[in-house]
Amino acid sequence: MKRRVVVTGLGAITPLGNDLEKTWQGMLEGRSGVGPITAFPAENFKPGYAAEVKDFKPEQYVEKRKALKMMGRNIQLALAAAQMSVADSGVLESVDRTRMGVLLGTGMLNADIAELGKAVRASRDENGEFDMSRFGEAGSSNLFPLWLLRHIPNLVSSHIAILYGAQGPSNIITTTCTSGAQAIGEAARIIERGQAQVMLAGASDARIDILSMVKYRKLGIMTTDDRDPSTASRPFDSEANGFVCGEGAAVLVLEELDHAKARGAKVYAELVGIGLSTDAYDFIRQHPEGRGMQLSMKRAMKDAELNVDDIDYISPNGASIPDFDIAETRAVKAVFGERAKKVPMSAVRSMIGHTHAACGAIEAVVCVKAINESVVPPTVNLDRPAAECDLDYVPKTARQMPVNVALSNNFGFGGHSASLLFRGMEARV
Amino acid sequence: MKRRVVITGLGAVTPIGIGVDKYWEGLVNGTCGISTISRYDVSSFATKIAAEVKNFNLGDYSETNAETSQLDRRIQYTMAAAEMAIENSGLALKGDHWIDTGVYLGAGEGTANLDEFADMACRSGNGDPTVDLPKFVLNTLDIYDGAAAFLKESNMPAAFIAMRYGAMGPVSNCLTACAASSQAIGEAYRVIQRGDADVMITGGAHAMTGPLDLIGFSQLSALSQNNQDPSTACRPFDAKRDGFVLGEGAGIIVAEELSHAIRRKARIYAEIIGYGQSNDAYRVTDMHPEARGAIRAITAALDEARVAPESINYINAHGTSTVENDKNETMAIKAAFGDYAYRLNISSTKSMTGHLIAAAGAAELIATTLALQSDVIPPTINYCNPDPNCDLDYVPNEARERRIRAAISNSFGFGGQNVSLVVARPEF
Repeated sequence: MKRRVVVTGLGAITPLGNDLEKTWQGMLEGRSGVGPITAFPAENFKPGYAAEVKDFKPEQYVEKRKALKMMGRNIQLALAAAQMSVADSGVLESVDRTRMGVLLGTGMLNADIAELGKAVRASRDENGEFDMSRFGEAGSSNLFPLWLLRHIPNLVSSHIAILYGAQGPSNIITTTCTSGAQAIGEAARIIERGQAQVMLAGASDARIDILSMVKYRKLGIMTTDDRDPSTASRPFDSEANGFVCGEGAAVLVLEELDHAKARGAKVYAELVGIGLSTDAYDFIRQHPEGRGMQLSMKRAMKDAELNVDDIDYISPNGASIPDFDIAETRAVKAVFGERAKKVPMSAVRSMIGHTHAACGAIEAVVCVKAINESVVPPTVNLDRPAAECDLDYVPKTARQMPVNVALSNNFGFGGHSASLLFRGMEARV
Repeated sequence: MKRRVVITGLGAVTPIGIGVDKYWEGLVNGTCGISTISRYDVSSFATKIAAEVKNFNLGDYSETNAETSQLDRRIQYTMAAAEMAIENSGLALKGDHWIDTGVYLGAGEGTANLDEFADMACRSGNGDPTVDLPKFVLNTLDIYDGAAAFLKESNMPAAFIAMRYGAMGPVSNCLTACAASSQAIGEAYRVIQRGDADVMITGGAHAMTGPLDLIGFSQLSALSQNNQDPSTACRPFDAKRDGFVLGEGAGIIVAEELSHAIRRKARIYAEIIGYGQSNDAYRVTDMHPEARGAIRAITAALDEARVAPESINYINAHGTSTVENDKNETMAIKAAFGDYAYRLNISSTKSMTGHLIAAAGAAELIATTLALQSDVIPPTINYCNPDPNCDLDYVPNEARERRIRAAISNSFGFGGQNVSLVVARPEF
């Protein structure tokens, strides 16, 4: 008998709010979390906007000030989301900590420019040029001794494991924009195999920094439009021309169904299908027919023993990158056939931007909320759909509707695809 | 009926040899790959040594083009090791079988381009020691190579394997510090076991031998400072050990479902029979003082393998040459094996290759597999001074011939990450 994996806790911190309630409310109201960049002085940079998490106070989630200095922003955001999710689940009272694990996705962390810049500038020769023969000493004396620890990706998971004494399996997935979805999928497999009863699964990312933003700008995948920031992210719209950089974190408590029942937990949904693939096409562009996306959706449905008629809602990748949006639309049409136009598919990235590694986790939470509250968030800024983008993207306003099965799709740079299927609990227990 | 997973192909790029044959020859002969760093001026660094890959040219091992020749070393090592492993496995390089083939690596990020950063930072002054950030933005827009930076993402080695062969199965990358590629192999084994793929290309790559890596680990007091005599700097389990030595490289294995391998008459090196994984949940850089996580990982791997402890004849230790790791790993082996621990052959091949960080586990599982194949145990070199905290048999200085039925490879990482893999001789 296969063990079943259910969601019993939710936590999120996003550009729309520093907890899930505010985030979800913002989504249903169709608000935008995009605003002027405050993370660095952006007067010389276009775009001057991004989807930042606002007024985040990490000391709320980390007792020791000293510990905060070792944590990059993605670690801090993950700790916040994890604590909110664990509190929501009430799982701590009854879980064996050796059977509890942490499995998150995260992104690449760039250097703290002010700090590393100072270390580099202290290593200049008489002509003002960088001199490696001085850097060993001058670099060391100008860098915070534990700076490296802010940049080790798995510490995102480890700080959470340490906080809870969670000694079960832990991992960190770094597959860019599919990290969160893959982390949730892999965590579910661990429970399915019986190697943990509870997994904290999700992702965090924080890339609103100079090096990342310049990188995305140069690659031509981020919008630089001079327009009202709240209208800059416009998935599936004819004026979409790149993503808006976002940041955030979401963590789900995944639990073995019997364990959840035994402790009388509230169960939000069951994770019934996981499908992974790559399109093996290009390190940045999507295969034009979305062949990887087609495979991941089909594999998830096969895994869940469901077909397209069972699916009520799709949370798409919807990155606001024209080629991606079109490839994704084509892939959904190829897999869903006639049903494609009947399944609402709304992109929350229209409101929170592209949160990179975190998006899969945040969008998984969106699917679970949609199932539980019988409402799906809108795709805002969808004024005039792009050519070929003729599906039901739930434009502008949220829609009340029953959702029993929701499909969350994520597609990442490097060609990764991940599809997750969540199902409500009433229908079949 | 559980699906069984075997290793059918091996490829390695290491500081002691490129290609599995040269790597193995180096290991058996006790060759040390550590020397003074050659790629940049290390005169002002506290640690000046590392295990660099020497005389590497991607074109010798894989097709190259204008794009691949620009890739960072870590991706190039991956491409070479993957090509060797796949050729070694006998799988056709192209064909429909790749649609369901996956990739799971534990690859690190690409080495930061410090010269480029320094150029941007040095031009962004304002008459004081700090960087003027608005100026830095302008200089970054002017100088920064966005595409090169983008390719430093840790998923890129896996993505390049997928693109090269058309692998469209599950593709993932985990980055659990020094345990990453062992964990990747363990997870690839799970993917095949579950039936989500018949073949997985797995392993890892890393090239953490750059100036920022050297400073970062030095500041954590983790590195050996034996700059005078680099080839003796890495001395796992020896009483005079003073830290690990950074290394670089890639290890790739082809993992395959047993009946799939038999059907195509593949050469089977070994079977993966156990994978244990845990977290210390103790501290960020320190291991748990009683090695609770390491014990749990080893024990879980042994339980899954369903072999008597006495069937394990060799442990390829994590053996970093830090005071703490080698002591705690010894403690964990004793806790997991009891009295039999004293009869085990244990060696740290890091004494020769240095610490390949994310790639270490893959390189070491390859060493373990080759040991199993040839009934020869590679030595722990530089072992001269017994440490009372490390009183097991570390196969000092000379390779040893010994029948090996099953063997373990351990990997432990910062953040309390512990992985043990058990491999066995194929039984047919």
